Amino acid sequence: MTDLPLAGDDAPRDAVAVFERHRAELRAARRVWTVIALGAFGLCLGLSVWVSQFYPDRLAAGLPRIFEYFGTILPDLRWDLLFEGRTAEGRAVPGSLTFWYADLWTYLELIWETILMAITATLLGAGVAFVLSFPAAANLAPNGRVYWVSRRFLELCRGIPEILLALVLVFMIGIGPLAGVIAIAIHTAGALGKLFAEVNENASPRPVEGIAAVGGSWSQQMAYGVVPQVAPNFFSYALLRFEINVRASSIIGFVGAGGIGQELNRVISFYSDDRVLAVLILVVLMVTIIDLVSERIRLAYIGRETPA
Amino acid sequence: MLRLDKLTRRFGDTTAVHAASLDIPDGQMVGIIGRSGAGKSTLLRLLNRLVDPSEGHITYGDTDVAALKGRELRAWRSDCAMIFQQFNLVGRLDVLTNVLTGRLHEMPPWRAMAQVFTPRERAFAIRALDRLGMAHTALQRAETLSGGQQQRVAIARALVQEPRILLADEPIASLDPLNARIVMDALRDINRRDGITVICNLHTLDTARQYCDRIIGMQAGRIVFDGTPDLLTTQMAREIYGAEADAAFDETATSTALAPSAARQRVPA
Repeated sequence: MTDLPLAGDDAPRDAVAVFERHRAELRAARRVWTVIALGAFGLCLGLSVWVSQFYPDRLAAGLPRIFEYFGTILPDLRWDLLFEGRTAEGRAVPGSLTFWYADLWTYLELIWETILMAITATLLGAGVAFVLSFPAAANLAPNGRVYWVSRRFLELCRGIPEILLALVLVFMIGIGPLAGVIAIAIHTAGALGKLFAEVNENASPRPVEGIAAVGGSWSQQMAYGVVPQVAPNFFSYALLRFEINVRASSIIGFVGAGGIGQELNRVISFYSDDRVLAVLILVVLMVTIIDLVSERIRLAYIGRETPA
Repeated sequence: MLRLDKLTRRFGDTTAVHAASLDIPDGQMVGIIGRSGAGKSTLLRLLNRLVDPSEGHITYGDTDVAALKGRELRAWRSDCAMIFQQFNLVGRLDVLTNVLTGRLHEMPPWRAMAQVFTPRERAFAIRALDRLGMAHTALQRAETLSGGQQQRVAIARALVQEPRILLADEPIASLDPLNARIVMDALRDINRRDGITVICNLHTLDTARQYCDRIIGMQAGRIVFDGTPDLLTTQMAREIYGAEADAAFDETATSTALAPSAARQRVPA
């Protein structure tokens, strides 16, 4: 094998020279864009620090106050009385767990209500998201107008914060879990609808074409050609959304829309004592357990659907 | 009789099919040959309206196929079955359901959406699968089958449509020689026994010569040859294939060049 000339007499026409020149140009252009992007990023970061007044000294000054607050909500437990039951008159002894968690059953009932709210809202929202994800997928939409309308509708649904929706709904239909469920369901429809539509856009067009070729209608093309392909992803995203919704429904009670948040709000505003911590511990426990269980289900399902 | 009259399809600046006029009598087995990008695939897709024509007419009997819409268009597609190079089955559905989708057009909408099939429909689908030697895979997911098996399932799906015309878009281009022969034999059997018109895009000349009553040659969107296999001279074929001629003629170079079914021992396994 002979050595290839790196830059012969006809340098401009030599393949290597042309390539090197092209590469140098490309790299130079890329460098310029990298510098511009970094500059823009730095500017935005500085601006957001200034606007939000995120200064270290403020944070340092606030930090002790956080612990101060935690001091006020710590329960006054006494080791010798910790497992003391109620007295003959039915009173709990101060310093015992029974005293701290005197309202345990109320809390548990509300936690149960919170989980049910999350389940209902996820099912409702996922249902709407499922139906709209097909017209909202660029590759599947029957025409541009339907695509535009369903996209904008989903944006509207997820654009309004849940807590704001809940506030309005509490005014409309009154205090209670129904307002919370509807608020979370609307937000879920918007968020899941976008994710579902993106899954649909990645579906293979071949089965869809196959169903079109047998004379299948648009909805049949979706049901037979697309749904089997995307179902595992839909399921996984819906479970993930359920986890998010459990957290959302424990907060949404702050505006009177049901669930444990309502109680949390009450104990914070009226007592600000150890009852706040009692509720907080239960909320954290609930969210953690739901996350763990849901993740287990999701992984088991994905493992079954995609064999190695 | 399927009649194309100056059928044209443009994609932007390129004309994929240019003023194609053809008469295809019922029951013929037609092979369309030509190099890649000659417009074979577009022509076939125009016939079942997966692609809409830019100009010209398609008529079948007294049906104006190019003007069909909605339910009538779906009825035409149901009458005019199609099999694809990449099979286009629903991989995650089982084989039986894939075949049953061939009945979708005949089913009431609620049953179609709920995927409820009658025992009669199931029996019909199983018979079609059995004819292709695939009944034993009925409850497997389609994606677990080999390419040749998937193409046979796709033919079974086309059969349960009870079509009058069967379009095949490069049906053997993704298959090994043995499976290619099984598929082509099946298409010829459907043509001979059921009297269904078969219109088949083929990349290789020998397959077309061997299986088809009539060969149509396409070049750059135009029909440049139309006649029986013995009228297709080597000179003509070279013209149709251009630079790809050697690949299309050389039996050892292409996996889809088939030996006659009678001489099985010549087919490399």
